[in-house]
Amino acid sequence: MLTVLSIFIGIAAVMTIVSVMEGMKAKTAEMYSAMGSNRITVSIYSWMYDEQGNSMNTKDYYPELSSFCSSIPDKVIGVTPNGYCNATVVYGTKSSANMEYQYDDNWNYISGPPQLYYGSEQYAMCNNLKLVKGRDLAVLDLEKYNNVCVLGSEAYTAFFGKLDPIGKEMQFNGTNYEVIGVYAPRSEDGSNKSMDNFILIPYTAKRTLGGEINNFVVKAKDSKTLKEAISLIGGFLKGAVNTATGGYDVYSENTWQQQENETLNMIGLILGGIAAISLLVGGIGIMNIMLVTVTERTKEIGIRRAIGATKGSIIAQFLVEAGMLCGMGGIIGIAIGYVASIILGHLILQMSILPPVWVTLLTFTLSVVLGLLFGSYPAAQAAKLQPVEALRAE
Amino acid sequence: MAKLIKIDSVYKIYSEGLESEVRALDGVSLEIDKGEFVAIVGQSGSGKSTMMNVLGCLDIPTRGDFYLNGVDVKTLSDKELSRIRNKEIGFIFQQYNLIQSLTVLENVELPLIYQGIEAGERKRMAKEALERVGLAGREKHKPVQMSGGQQQRVAIARAIATKPNIVMADEPTGALDSHTGKDILSFLQQLNRLGTTVILITHDNSIADTAKRIVRLQDGKIIEDRTKEVDW
Ligand SMILES: Nc1ncnc2c1ncn2[C@@H]1O[C@H](COP(=O)(O)OP(=O)(O)OP(=O)(O)O)[C@@H](O)[C@H]1O
Ligand SMILES: [Mg+2]
Repeated sequence: MLTVLSIFIGIAAVMTIVSVMEGMKAKTAEMYSAMGSNRITVSIYSWMYDEQGNSMNTKDYYPELSSFCSSIPDKVIGVTPNGYCNATVVYGTKSSANMEYQYDDNWNYISGPPQLYYGSEQYAMCNNLKLVKGRDLAVLDLEKYNNVCVLGSEAYTAFFGKLDPIGKEMQFNGTNYEVIGVYAPRSEDGSNKSMDNFILIPYTAKRTLGGEINNFVVKAKDSKTLKEAISLIGGFLKGAVNTATGGYDVYSENTWQQQENETLNMIGLILGGIAAISLLVGGIGIMNIMLVTVTERTKEIGIRRAIGATKGSIIAQFLVEAGMLCGMGGIIGIAIGYVASIILGHLILQMSILPPVWVTLLTFTLSVVLGLLFGSYPAAQAAKLQPVEALRAE
Repeated sequence: MAKLIKIDSVYKIYSEGLESEVRALDGVSLEIDKGEFVAIVGQSGSGKSTMMNVLGCLDIPTRGDFYLNGVDVKTLSDKELSRIRNKEIGFIFQQYNLIQSLTVLENVELPLIYQGIEAGERKRMAKEALERVGLAGREKHKPVQMSGGQQQRVAIARAIATKPNIVMADEPTGALDSHTGKDILSFLQQLNRLGTTVILITHDNSIADTAKRIVRLQDGKIIEDRTKEVDW
């Protein structure tokens, strides 16, 4: 009994681990694909700080970076600053100062104050955003320091409900900004709602609203040109950034995602190792049970041999028994694994994960194979007995 | 035509060369024809069971030749020996040797399963064998639910289900009362009249007297081999 227990604990563990890992991968993949793929993050920073602890990196690198990017149009299709400011957003009686983060019972984001993002007219392209109302930021808005903004879908509903916002004035830190457009939601099932709770303003508004722009997002044409673009931009930044007072980083989010997946696989491997040990213990237990069974049933083996069972059919009989024993443990384990995956999915990932069919089939096969593997030694022992000797047993 | 069974100077020696050496069979030679009814008798420990195990291909002699239907048994593989036990020989043991976890019908079906006979035909043959031993209608019972005599009849049904040429019975009546024992014996005689070769092992002289031929063993040697003139 204890053995079957460890078999199904092992199987349940394997099942849960694989399902949760797959769930996590799917979740990160979903997040990255919502923002779009082939994104390159450029960060430029300074080591110098003033007395208040503010970065002295005040130079605006965007115009240079932008014109460099337009010089390699076969590799890069968009570039935007990627910064934010902490201004208070007010419209009518609603103010971001009064908005609190709210979560449901599963810690899924419901609502909160909007983020104010700095970007260029290519922000939408770099972040997979589609306009549903009005117009997007234009080059002129940046050049003329126009006080305009485009709303993410969540920010739009938070402030305007279903009303038409185009042409309305919002106040950021007391300054009027005209709403010129609204973006479509990016999260398909609403599980990533928080990423649409933002308001985009021309990055040149930093002059009045403050905040920092240390990051830029560059969108490569495709995954093939991504690498070349990274090295070209790296070369450009080498000449553009004063490395005596600061530095820069260029990296792709694809590799980021890859790294995250690798970390996940690593964790999975370690947990899988623990599960494997449990399965090994279970397997050895099964082997023991089967050896005892063979001893207890020596007489039966003798009888079967006397009436014509070959060694092969004795082996087959005990293998089938071991396989069924483990298969049964496997089925219980799979059932437990299902429940555990669902519970853990809610606890860790705040999402419902159902173990994929291939995981179920794999673990079931695994348990049967385990039975066959550890049943083969006892089965061979059973077949080895001489018919007379086996018959003599009591 | 080759004899059905022919053994020549067969030895079965346990712990050979040691002080505890036992010669269960000590140079035995014997021929048995098809259709014979042979009783092998002798005192306890004289080597009767050993003899049957060798003749039944359950045991391998230490030395000596054994020809079955003219085939040298030494040359046969384990698989071929299994096939012979399955098709040519039916065994009946003193302790019935039924598998307790299986029903009566399943027990009788077992040798037919190893022959690879399809389920429907197998059931039909097993039921027919049970009918012949007078146990029709008891198919679903477990061995423990039956008396000793009934269990032995199940064992006989199992032995004859494959319609073997030879039936070997080791003290088949040993665990039964004399009346039930007589039933079993007359069934074996009836089988023999229908052409089956019967080898009956017993230490009971009165039972041996029902056989046409008596082979007497003592200390692993044949000390008497007598065929009765008159039929019984
Ligand atoms: N596996 C064994 N190891 C050692 N000695 C054995 C073994 N099997 C049988 N013997 C010995 O061989 C001799 C013959 O045994 P066997 O069982 O053939 O006697 P038997 O005539 O059938 O006796 P019984 O009437 O009591 O059944 C005995 O002395 C027995 O102790
Ligand atoms: Mg005996």
